[in-house]
Amino acid sequence: MTRISPGLLFALPALIVLTMLVAYPIMYTALLSVTDQQGNLVGLQNFQRVMQARTTPVAFYNTLVWVGGSVVLQVVLGTATAILLNEKFAGRAIVRSIAVIPWVIPGIVGALTWAWMFHTEFGIINYMLTAPGIVDEPVGWLVSRNTVMPAMIAINVWKLFPFVAIMVLAGLQAIPKDLYEAARVDGAGFWDEVWHVTLPQVRPVIVAVTLLLVIWALNHITTIFAITRGGPANSTLITPIQIFRLAFESVQFHQAAALSVMFFAATMVIVAVYIKVLSAKEEKSL
Amino acid sequence: MRIIGKGAALAAGVSMLALSATQLAAGTVTWWSPNFHAPRAAELVEQFHAEHPEITIEIEVTTSDGLPQRVLTAMQSGAAPDIIDVQHGWVAGYALNNLVIALDDIISDEDDFIPAALEYVRVDGQTYAMPFRVEGLAVIFNRGHFEEAGLDPDNPPETWDAFVEAAQALTGDGRYGFAITGGGEFGNTIFRSLPFVWMNGGNFISEDGTQAIVNQPEAVEAVKFYTDMLVEHGVSPASTLQNDGTANRRLFIAEAVSMYQAGQFDLASIAAENPDIELGVMKIPYPEGAETAAILGGWSFVIPTGARNPDDAKVFVEWMSRPENMGVYTDTFPARTSAMEMERFQDPALSVFGEMLPHTRPVPSHPAWVQIMQAYFDGVQRILIGEQDAQAAMDDAAEDIQALLDQH
Repeated sequence: MTRISPGLLFALPALIVLTMLVAYPIMYTALLSVTDQQGNLVGLQNFQRVMQARTTPVAFYNTLVWVGGSVVLQVVLGTATAILLNEKFAGRAIVRSIAVIPWVIPGIVGALTWAWMFHTEFGIINYMLTAPGIVDEPVGWLVSRNTVMPAMIAINVWKLFPFVAIMVLAGLQAIPKDLYEAARVDGAGFWDEVWHVTLPQVRPVIVAVTLLLVIWALNHITTIFAITRGGPANSTLITPIQIFRLAFESVQFHQAAALSVMFFAATMVIVAVYIKVLSAKEEKSL
Repeated sequence: MRIIGKGAALAAGVSMLALSATQLAAGTVTWWSPNFHAPRAAELVEQFHAEHPEITIEIEVTTSDGLPQRVLTAMQSGAAPDIIDVQHGWVAGYALNNLVIALDDIISDEDDFIPAALEYVRVDGQTYAMPFRVEGLAVIFNRGHFEEAGLDPDNPPETWDAFVEAAQALTGDGRYGFAITGGGEFGNTIFRSLPFVWMNGGNFISEDGTQAIVNQPEAVEAVKFYTDMLVEHGVSPASTLQNDGTANRRLFIAEAVSMYQAGQFDLASIAAENPDIELGVMKIPYPEGAETAAILGGWSFVIPTGARNPDDAKVFVEWMSRPENMGVYTDTFPARTSAMEMERFQDPALSVFGEMLPHTRPVPSHPAWVQIMQAYFDGVQRILIGEQDAQAAMDDAAEDIQALLDQH
């Protein structure tokens, strides 16, 4: 009789929970994607039907715009905020606290508030623009193809840039002071310090945060679903919402599973490429 | 001998298990009732308990937001309650997926029910729900605005042409004549635009469910009539694409809109929030020489296949379906004509809504109906956003719908 290693025994409860909560749903989704409602194997039929739908490529394109726009702006704005909050000035503690408010507001509350702020007739944004005469006509923020996705991205950036700021700020405070002193001895100005000392030092933090932001943006539903439900005319339909619609509105669990499997695969590829590229760079820079 | 002994012990064990199971289940019925029905539900359950002390009804209050998803998840997972209040339109989907049981044995006086209500919840000749609440939309209008615009509030427009003229006369100075919906949950727009298609002799899909006919002239003309309120005439607010029924009610309460389609449940909240508005109600306008129409809306009881106590649940549903109880429970109108005679339904403000009821129809039942509605709604939004005209948008919608029909 072979003895089971005690290490494995200790890990077993966690492994069982993980299997049940993570592996089982993934396997079950994969199974759903190749079967029909009676449980018969149907091969790739569900995948074919999903791919034929007019909305699938639209949603895919929208997802790219949504993720790209959100993540780039979140990182840039978050990092800039962190650098600003790292400087010493009067009232810094208060500003730091205020800055995190968007992040701690529940997503659905934020989304519904923004929906009313963006409303064409009642919205405070249009009121602030029309009252002093900046624009003549109220802007249809959420009813025109050109403005609705930027509006969604703006809300998402507002929601998550404080998270980036906090993470980067923690990274900033870990940078040894002598690096700045050395730079100043060499005659570096503020921008030289930011570019040559600060950013390289917080690079690992930004890399990790960006990966998280990409995953969160890919999985996001709350903001868009609460405000536009993917409309108007699918201009804010992203793939997670399409999956939700298929499964829970149209009751096409098998097609929804097929789309989930494809989405999962695409996400894995993006994450793998991201990690690969960055770790290669890391080695080069060492 | 040993074998027999084992068998007997097994049998005894099984019967004991069965006994304890029935004892556990006996008497308790879990009932999911939405928050707007719940106050009356509690009242009725008290009466029921007095008449049937052997059965205990436990009410679990649900909210309408996200209810279809919750009900579906509960039914699919097998952890369903014994009775659920659902909208008529959801029932066919449950029946086709074998998630609810047939209730034909407890429907006693079939002719007393509004035919469209029973038609809604029937699949292959079997009745899978007990309809208790029915309603149809009408057009609510601001009588004061009518007078200001020189229109007669006692003779509101009846035909499409007269209606457009009235809406144009009412529009101006930041005020809009007739608000349509183009946003929110797509059901809002289906309920408000599909009746126009019906009145004009069209539909989304053919009677036998094999052909998409939403791009036929009758349907396209009606869709154009609906969307032109924004696109051509500008009598619907600029925010149309983000407005659902609730948003339109807010605009009406703010007196930014003079007419909009609504159900009778809006009357109370308008009166409460802006008592200055003098309310009028008119039938939904129809094309010259045709008849008005509306979608029959409302709620039914279903008993899920996974219910633990279907027998007692049936006793309660049967009790609730009696005219005197149904008439108390419904928020709008009861599904039985005999219950309509009750005092509370004689309010003159409700008369036009009552007149709409005989013109209501159930929506077509098809396994892919939700996706069909989505395809149509996407088309309507493409028109409203100014991307396509009615014909082009409905041609695309018909193509999408045909693909869905061919899959079934």
